[in-house]
Order: sequence, then structure tokens, then C-alpha cells
Amino acid sequence: MSITDRLMGLYSALVYAFLYVPILLVIVFSFNESRTLGQFTGFSLKWYQVLLEDKVVWVAFYNSLNVAIITTLVSLLLGTLAAYGMVRLDVGGKGAVDSLLYVPIIIPEIAEALSLLLFYKFSGYQLGWLTVLLGHIAFDISFVYVVVRARLAGFDRSLEEASLTLGANEVQTFLKVTLPLSMPGIIAAALIAFTLSFDDFIKTAFTTGPGFQTLPLIIWSQSARGGVGPELNALTTVIMAISMAIAYAYAKLTMEK
Amino acid sequence: MAWMDSLIDFVRRYRWLVALLVLGPPLIYLSIYFFAPFVITILYSVGFIGRRGVVTWQFTIRYYQEALRWVYLKVFYNSVVLAAITTVGSILMAYPVAYFIAVKAPKKWKNLLVVSVMVPYWVDFLLRTYALMNIFTMLKMMFTYEAVVVGMIYDYLPFMVLPLYATLEKLDKSLLEASYTLGASPFKTFLKVTLPLSKPGIASGTILVFVPAIGEFVVPAMLGGVSVTTIGTLTWDLFLKFHNWWRGAALSILYIAVVLVSLILYMRKVGELEI
Repeated sequence: MSITDRLMGLYSALVYAFLYVPILLVIVFSFNESRTLGQFTGFSLKWYQVLLEDKVVWVAFYNSLNVAIITTLVSLLLGTLAAYGMVRLDVGGKGAVDSLLYVPIIIPEIAEALSLLLFYKFSGYQLGWLTVLLGHIAFDISFVYVVVRARLAGFDRSLEEASLTLGANEVQTFLKVTLPLSMPGIIAAALIAFTLSFDDFIKTAFTTGPGFQTLPLIIWSQSARGGVGPELNALTTVIMAISMAIAYAYAKLTMEK
Repeated sequence: MAWMDSLIDFVRRYRWLVALLVLGPPLIYLSIYFFAPFVITILYSVGFIGRRGVVTWQFTIRYYQEALRWVYLKVFYNSVVLAAITTVGSILMAYPVAYFIAVKAPKKWKNLLVVSVMVPYWVDFLLRTYALMNIFTMLKMMFTYEAVVVGMIYDYLPFMVLPLYATLEKLDKSLLEASYTLGASPFKTFLKVTLPLSKPGIASGTILVFVPAIGEFVVPAMLGGVSVTTIGTLTWDLFLKFHNWWRGAALSILYIAVVLVSLILYMRKVGELEI
């Protein structure tokens, strides 16, 4: 390795440190006995104890999970239908439909969130669980579509043709060939859909109503005025651990091609 | 199985109906909960919808005039400057890293290095920005412009590394060797071969960072407090604090127009977006 290579390696190491040190500090301070930042006085689980006994946190956790799971299931169904239709069906106007399906990914989240709020207010929806859920699904369909579509377009179509030639009908071919082959894409899409919904903040903040809180909203409301504290560090550690574990699973899944 | 046969028969005979049944549900859903809201936003912004959601059909450009007032134009300008700093900063940080992973890193390390960038990519900005608050509180840097800039680069960095890596990974290494063989120095090779070939990656990364960074809310709100105003914080305040939906709607439509125009210009020039 030449000197420039070494320097580049060192520089990369520093950038990785930049990415991970703040996350590590949240974890370290969540186990800190003292309330004072920057002074680690001893290992303690008491802040997690506080979380476990906090009823508001439990309700928010249930809400986050509830919305994320339903969002994942519904957007998986709708996104996969769209992907299958676009890749396999012979219909006109595909280019236009494809562009439309990409729009939710491109439009900035805050613009989408406020348009949803206006729509709900105009149509007389009661803001709360349902409005948050409907918005998350609308956003996630496109991500599922992109991932599943890439998988469907990627595998050898002659496998389906072979199945049809060998006497299986369309439905059997779909169930026994197409679906199993697209499974990795569908699982990857489910992981993305879940994380995007589970730790979402902007859309939830705009579309929720009084009485419906998710975990990110708790972090927002408690840290808004610069309030960092060990309880929040513990809560952030829990949410990040869930998101990062899922992201890791996704990365593993998509890199084994 | 009789029902199966009739199902197959149905599938073969009514292909258009099948297409409708397959593509219909997702498209109808998106029409209602994604596209209709934007139509409603436009209707608000031109005054067609008044107080308490009553349709008035009174066209006005008043709200656009308000959104284009000098104070707001300054916010627009500030947001674009902040987004530009974020983009340049993240290119400077990301490029050597992407190059290192793609070209220099030992093969067995590659996957781990890429995954380590991908993992933070999937964690919501709120959580990662909160993570920075610990450090900035210790350094007594909370609510400063510097904190916002560092926070922006911190949050957007993975969006720059991944497309750069994707482009550099595909780079034909024999071109570099050819350049060396023909007598070019490593520096000249980089300037004349590597950098021009990594343009698509730089362009994709720029779009993925610059466009959303203009409207960023979480970072300036959490790390900048009231000292930094951007399109994102302004939108938030107009909607959730002041309930001035009409002006907020006009502002948001203007912002979307900027986003769409820059995307179209980009697509014309570079083509496919690499995500």
C-alpha cells in the first residue's frame, strides 16, 4: 500500500468514526448512572427501568408497532400488485404509470405530509390512528414497488415459460414459480416498509391528532427545547437498535445476489 | 378442479380485466391518499378553499404573493445555501470513502464497509439528529449555525456515499492501468480518468442530498432552534403553529416546483437516477 492509499484508509476510518461515534455515545450514556452528560460515573440499567415503568412510552410503542405492521402488510400487498402488473402484464401506458409510482419517493416528505393534513381537514377525517396509518401506506407503496419490481424484472423469465410449457397453468405458475422467486424482493421490501413506518417522524407529526402518539413523537416533544437526558438516550437506543437490526438484515439479504 | 379451470379460462379471456384488478387497487389508493391531497393543496393555495374547508371558487394569487415576499425569499435563499454547503461538504467527505471501498479496500472488508454505510441510511433523521445533541450539548454548540451544518452533513452523508460507491464500483480498472502505463501520474490519472468517469455518481448523490436538504426540517429545528430558519421550519411553523394553511400551501407548491424543475433538468442531462 502506498502512502496515499494509507492516508485514504485513515480518512475513511475517520468518516466512519464520524458516522458511528454519536450513535455509540447515545448507547453509552443510556447506561450511565449519572444524569450529567460527559461524565460516566458507572454502569446502570435504571434509565431502562424508568422506560419500562412509563405507561406513556408503552402506549406509544404499541402505536408505533401497530401502525408499522399494518402499513407493512397493506403496502406489501398493493406494492407487489403494482410491481407484478407493471412487469408481467401487457397493457398500454406503462411508462406514465411507472413515473406516477415513483413520485412519492421523489417528493419531499414535508410537502407530502402537509398535503395529507390539508386533505384530511378538507374531507373531515378525525386525526389520529387511521390518518397516520393511511399516510404511511401511501408513502410505502412506492418503495415496495421499486424493490419488488427490480426482483421481478431481474429473474429469468424462461423459468415461467418452462412451467407453462410443461403443463402448469398460469395460476400454478404464479404460485409455484413467480412467487417463490420473487420472495427475497418481497422480504426486502417488507423490511424497508416496516422501518420507514416504524421510526417515521414528519408524516406522523403532521397527520396525528390529540391522543395518538408514536415513539418518535415522544423523542421530538421531549428534546425540542434542547433537552437531552438519559431517559431519552435509552429510548433512542431502543428504537435505533430495532431500525438498525432491520437495516442490517436488509443489507445482508440484498447483497447476497 | 372445476373452479381452477374456470379461473384460468377467466384469466385468459379477460386480460384487461385482470390488469385492472392487479393495477387498480394500488393506483386507486395512491390517487386518493397521495395525488388527491396535492390537488387539495393547490386548491388551498389559490384560495378555492376557504375557512373551515368551505369551497369558495374565488381564485386569488394573494397567497403566492405572500409566499414570495422578501422575508420568505430570504428563507428560500438561506435554505438553498445550507443545502449547497451540505452537498459540497458531503461530496468532500464521501468521495474518498467511496473510492476507498470501491477500489482500494481488501475484498473481504468490502461488504462490511458498504453495510456500515447502509445501516444509518435507514434510521430516521430524528433519531440520528438526536444522537448529535449529546455531543453538541457537551461542546456547548447547541443552537448554532455550525451545529446545523455538521448535523446536515452527518444525516445526508450516506445518501452521497452509496451512489458514489455504485459508480466507482463499476469503473473499469484497466482504464486506470492504461493511464499509468502511458505515463500519467496518479494525480493526473485521477483528474483525467477517475473523476470524469464518476460524474454520474456525483450527480445522483447531489440530487439525493441537495433536493431534500432544501426542505429539511428536523436538523435546523433540533440543532438550530429558532436561530436558523429554512423552508422546512417555515412550513412547519405556518402549518402547526400559526395554522396559516393558505400561505403554507402556496409555499409548499413553490418548493415542489423547484424540486420538480431541478429533477427534470437533471434527468435531461444525466439520465437515470441511481439510488
